Amino acid sequence: MAQMELAGNMYEVDENGFMQETDRWTEDVARAYAAKEGVNEVTEDHWKAVNYLRNYYLQNGICPMIRRLIKETGFNLSRLYELFPQGPAQSACKWAGVPKPTGCV
Amino acid sequence: MTKKLKLTDISKGGDRPLTEINLDELVPLPPPYDKAEELREFRRLTPDQEERLVCNLDGVVSYAALPKPKNKEEGKKYVEQFVSGLKKLLSKENNWTFLQPLLLSLDYCAQCQTCCDACPIYLASGKNELYRPTYRSEIFRRLVKKYGRPGGRLWAKLNGEDIELNWATITRLYELSYRCNLCRRCTLSCPMGVDNALIAREIRKLFSQELGWAPKELHEKGTVLQLEVGSPTGLRPNVAMDNFKFLDEEFSEATGIKIETPWDKKGADVLFIHSAGDIISFPEGPISFSILCNAAGINWTLSSDIPGYDGVNYGVFYDDVQLAKVAIRHAQIGRKLGVKKIVMGECGHQHKALLTVADRVLTGELDIPRENVMTFLENIVFSGKIKFDPQKNNFPVTLHDPCNLVRNLGVVEPQRRILRYLCPQFREMTPHGIDNYCCGGGGGLSVMSDVNFTDWKAHVAGRLKLKQILEAFADQPGPEVKKYLCAPCLNCKLQFRDIFDYYKVKERSGIIFGGLGELAVNAMVDIKKPFIKWEEP
Repeated sequence: MAQMELAGNMYEVDENGFMQETDRWTEDVARAYAAKEGVNEVTEDHWKAVNYLRNYYLQNGICPMIRRLIKETGFNLSRLYELFPQGPAQSACKWAGVPKPTGCV
Repeated sequence: MTKKLKLTDISKGGDRPLTEINLDELVPLPPPYDKAEELREFRRLTPDQEERLVCNLDGVVSYAALPKPKNKEEGKKYVEQFVSGLKKLLSKENNWTFLQPLLLSLDYCAQCQTCCDACPIYLASGKNELYRPTYRSEIFRRLVKKYGRPGGRLWAKLNGEDIELNWATITRLYELSYRCNLCRRCTLSCPMGVDNALIAREIRKLFSQELGWAPKELHEKGTVLQLEVGSPTGLRPNVAMDNFKFLDEEFSEATGIKIETPWDKKGADVLFIHSAGDIISFPEGPISFSILCNAAGINWTLSSDIPGYDGVNYGVFYDDVQLAKVAIRHAQIGRKLGVKKIVMGECGHQHKALLTVADRVLTGELDIPRENVMTFLENIVFSGKIKFDPQKNNFPVTLHDPCNLVRNLGVVEPQRRILRYLCPQFREMTPHGIDNYCCGGGGGLSVMSDVNFTDWKAHVAGRLKLKQILEAFADQPGPEVKKYLCAPCLNCKLQFRDIFDYYKVKERSGIIFGGLGELAVNAMVDIKKPFIKWEEP
């Protein structure tokens, strides 16, 4: 298992950098991930998406489909790619501290 | 590569890779993808990863959890387990599924190398010796002769066919078995009928069932998760139904047709089983079947039983025990609902698993009729119950043939009859039908994305496929012409998603991909707005 330093602490991550210990997530972890991707200010818009994503995952055990994310946040796909450099699946999920989706998704 | 690989190299230089991938050595792609230096770089392992992980094949790692032995004894233990597994693979009691074709393939290879010219991975790699189908098969064949047959060790030394069996051999063989798409193009071309894909798959089975080595995406987070919660995606029954209800509403609004997807309807004629990942990633696919089945007046249902709403069966790729468990569950669910038949969704390996491979375990009560998606869809489209206007699909369309549905099951024509009817600009790619190339994601590879494996899939395994797609649309290559790649299989769509993302195919060539159901719905007279869209939501 790989280790990554985020916001001053060591966390277990997979080889693509996704957190494996979801319950250790904090907002600072999200900020650290964002900084790694060149986003130095995590705005209200970012939090809207990240929080929705994380809460949906914690409740349902799977990330929300993109249509739901778009509907709930009011952001279209272009806006999501503006906010999250690698897109909703790669960046936003990572910053939200949820594991990488498995299976055919 | 400068040095030509020998079979015996498989056991030499334990920690070092045998080869590496260089983009400029691969088969060139047509413009505008022809300049290797302009393409997305091939991700290499970091120094930290090189230290922690076993990476001794080709600079690519598909299984980060492959254990590094702490000492020589532990390494020897794994090798002994391999030998024990090999013996079981050759025994009737343990290999009750595929022993006969495996033995025939091991015994009758004439080494003519015809299969190598059929292999898309070998060709795309620029004919890298490591990816020759016979490289892997011959190494395994010699190990079988040496350890699986009496007097084998002496015979090997006398024949000059000795392959040393050590830690490097088995770890490289493990990874190498996951450099095959199980597409069986080699089998099709072999004059003897030797099945190199089966050999690769049986090697995977040996590792999984005896050593417990299998990609976590296929096992721990694959079949195991599916049997526990319903789907390898982690989609639980209530979440699946809730998501589908959401889609019913969204698409009812978008299409102007009231869509209601039935669940758990006892005594329905048809139990339809989608690939659940479609619900999350390509919802237009499953919803198109809801629209079509309802419009055609079919008495059908989905099931919310675990895993009745997810037709995938990754066991086909690596493990007979898991294969049997999942298939039996699917059939039991159909029996419990009392349906007349089970129909597959747009997923290739689902067809292979449930329609043929699982035959042997679906006996008695479990022998419930199963139908493939293409004949089912063809009957709907030509039933006369739905009015279509093919002019709504007046854009260039080409067809990808999922290996498991077309080459391996022989379902070739129904989808073409539909496309010729509903798509005025349908054109075949070259080669097509049973000779078509694998998408590069076959054999379970499309859901595997550990370390830098996706780079290998997008750059190497999928290379010939991308070339084919571009050539099929060579008459109108620019992004201003909207084009559709019909790919009726979720595994293939995932691979295309990776390839298209790596090469920016939608932006540079104007091509999108999707299933066949969407094309049918897009042509429906009753749909007021286009169902297929090139712009993002």
